[in-house]
Amino acid sequence: MELIKALKKKKEKILSVWIERTLDSYLSSGFFKRSQDKFANPVGANIKEGLTRLYNLLVKGSDQQEYVEPLDQVIRIRAVQEFSPAQAVAPILELKWVVKQVFSADKECRGLLSELDSFDCDVDRAALAAFDLYMECRDRLHRARIRELKSGSYILTDSACASAVIRQNLQEISQISRRLRQHDGATGSDDTEKNRII
Amino acid sequence: MAVVKVDTLSRSVAEGPSLMTGSIPRRDWQDMPVQFKPGNYAYPTKSEILAYLDSQPGISLPNARDWSPEDDDWKLPEDWKETIINGLAERLDKFRSLKIFMDCCVRCGACADKCHFFLGTGDPKNMPVMRAELLRSIYRQEFTLAGKLLGKMAGGRKMTTGVLKEWFMYAYQCTECRRCSVFCPYGIDTAEITMMLRELLHLVGCGINWAMEPVANSNRTGNHMGLTPQAYKGNVDFLCEDIEGLTGIKVNPTFNRKGAEVLFITPSADVFAEPGLFTCMGYLLLFEAIGLDYTWSTYASEGGNFGLFTSNEVMKKLNGKMYAEAKRLGVKWILGGECGHMWRVVHQYMDTMNGPADFLEVPKSPITGTVFDNAASTKMVHISEFTADLIKNNKIKFDKSRNAHVKATFHDSCNPARAMGLLDEPRYILDHVLDEWHEMPENTIREKTFCCGSGTALNTDEIMELRMRSGLPRANAVKHVFDKHAVNTLACVCAIDRATLTTLMDYWVPEVTVAGITELVGNALVVEGEKRQELDEGLRTLVF
Repeated sequence: MELIKALKKKKEKILSVWIERTLDSYLSSGFFKRSQDKFANPVGANIKEGLTRLYNLLVKGSDQQEYVEPLDQVIRIRAVQEFSPAQAVAPILELKWVVKQVFSADKECRGLLSELDSFDCDVDRAALAAFDLYMECRDRLHRARIRELKSGSYILTDSACASAVIRQNLQEISQISRRLRQHDGATGSDDTEKNRII
Repeated sequence: MAVVKVDTLSRSVAEGPSLMTGSIPRRDWQDMPVQFKPGNYAYPTKSEILAYLDSQPGISLPNARDWSPEDDDWKLPEDWKETIINGLAERLDKFRSLKIFMDCCVRCGACADKCHFFLGTGDPKNMPVMRAELLRSIYRQEFTLAGKLLGKMAGGRKMTTGVLKEWFMYAYQCTECRRCSVFCPYGIDTAEITMMLRELLHLVGCGINWAMEPVANSNRTGNHMGLTPQAYKGNVDFLCEDIEGLTGIKVNPTFNRKGAEVLFITPSADVFAEPGLFTCMGYLLLFEAIGLDYTWSTYASEGGNFGLFTSNEVMKKLNGKMYAEAKRLGVKWILGGECGHMWRVVHQYMDTMNGPADFLEVPKSPITGTVFDNAASTKMVHISEFTADLIKNNKIKFDKSRNAHVKATFHDSCNPARAMGLLDEPRYILDHVLDEWHEMPENTIREKTFCCGSGTALNTDEIMELRMRSGLPRANAVKHVFDKHAVNTLACVCAIDRATLTTLMDYWVPEVTVAGITELVGNALVVEGEKRQELDEGLRTLVF
């Protein structure tokens, strides 16, 4: 049997093991695996859909650029969950192991194990793209954090209140004035030094 | 260099420590201690903030100290256990609802998969039933005969520092949105269980700064930001200048004016932070257009009430200022802006805390004559109710083409939707100010709306990842309408939403921006005598 044919034939089994293992990385994964409602179960449904689409693209030998969308469905979620970077992208690499497991268990497919190098390379490329996406998500998150700090939303609570800031400014101004006065008193008026302090 | 065989590499990934890190629980939930690490907890209250609050009349928030959730030793007071158990006894006695909620859960599981924190994390302790169990197990052990005799066999467990730490972790992974309660056959209000957990934690000085600093500021100056009356007025004046520049309409709001018919109260974020500012401009323009006799207050300068997330006594005190101010100014009734939890406090707690507000009149719109019987007791009307009534009676005109840049969807903010039943008014308004808007899927809107993920003072940046994952169910539904209808605006009626959904969208669906309903009203409003410029982005347009 040709490799592509075998990957298509075993698609259901491979996907089922792959998705199951990926969802097993959650502490309480029963609901994520069970519920089919995309809106009631966003983690389960998106991971399932993303991995399925990615598998189809890999089997089809699609351009690497096309991996991005389905990968995004999976990685954007995992990038904000309590995974290390390796754990977040590991499911993509796991596909290689899953395919080998499924092929090994099937007489017809066993002979194809030695022909998987090219497919494995494609999976590696997908994993690398996943890592790029992971970093992009993390960068976006940090930028969002900075934007919140800069936009003023943070002053909803976590800052010194405006009146405190005014008080602080007043204190700073009075300190500077005091230093200037002291300086003037000690050396007479020296504009260069005054400008430096200001 | 060793050549790594592909199958060896994949096996090491699959079977090594990277993916399978013990995520499948192998121990009983009671034996899995919480682990605090940067990013999974909000910073504790600053000791000076807590000390200040504890010194204030009507508020007891003891045990101010510097501590960190990451430390083993939380520097708890010596008698902390006794304090907690006595505190629970006092609350069981005081709040019949708590006693019922502790007793009547049958663990049917209806709530389990309804919480956005559970859906985003997969952490079983975020199932509402489990979160309640964190408290219920102590209740059983200490207050039921079976628990006293049988302990763990009867679902009880001893109060330990581990349990206390678990409370702190999960009481602050609940936004009190009450979606789970919609599905509970017994109507258990899990938000109230979280409220009790937080109250008990406060007894031993364990709270979060993002809640307590706004409380301190509100107590001191009347609003979350601690703004002085001058600063508050200054910013509203600044918005008036913007409105005049954009529309040619001169708006002249008044402040602290005795004898005004209506007192207007809105979250201070509307006055100070984008994108709430644009909603605030909408209010100002609308009131000017209809000639409403109203006043702002620089004392009751905050609709939000972080007391709801803190303790019942703080909630009462902060809510009381709104009514005290209404009394002082001699207004007839109160009009409330687009706030979320203010409406829960007003509709569900105000009457028994500070009411009845007999000194006010049952709200009657001076423009349409409509009497708001639904607010007969609280004397407080929501801006969307008020606006929808104006539209229904043809008292305001819109030009929808002014919102041509907006294709919206509507997010039901949790508290207005579930705590006061404000479901159709905002939709009615959207129908009149927009050419096109689309609903999100049925199980994510109206009473079943998903929370923004950052309510109850969890909108702080140190837990950004947590906010993103708990907001996933909401964002996922927005993404659906974005993919299907290319919506570009997420409309809502809550200040916390406006701040936090903006960040949530930026991560999950960056093409979508967030706007208040009254901003969209202000965009489309046709006002007599206006000299409106070409405003491609409505009130957000930058005009030089």
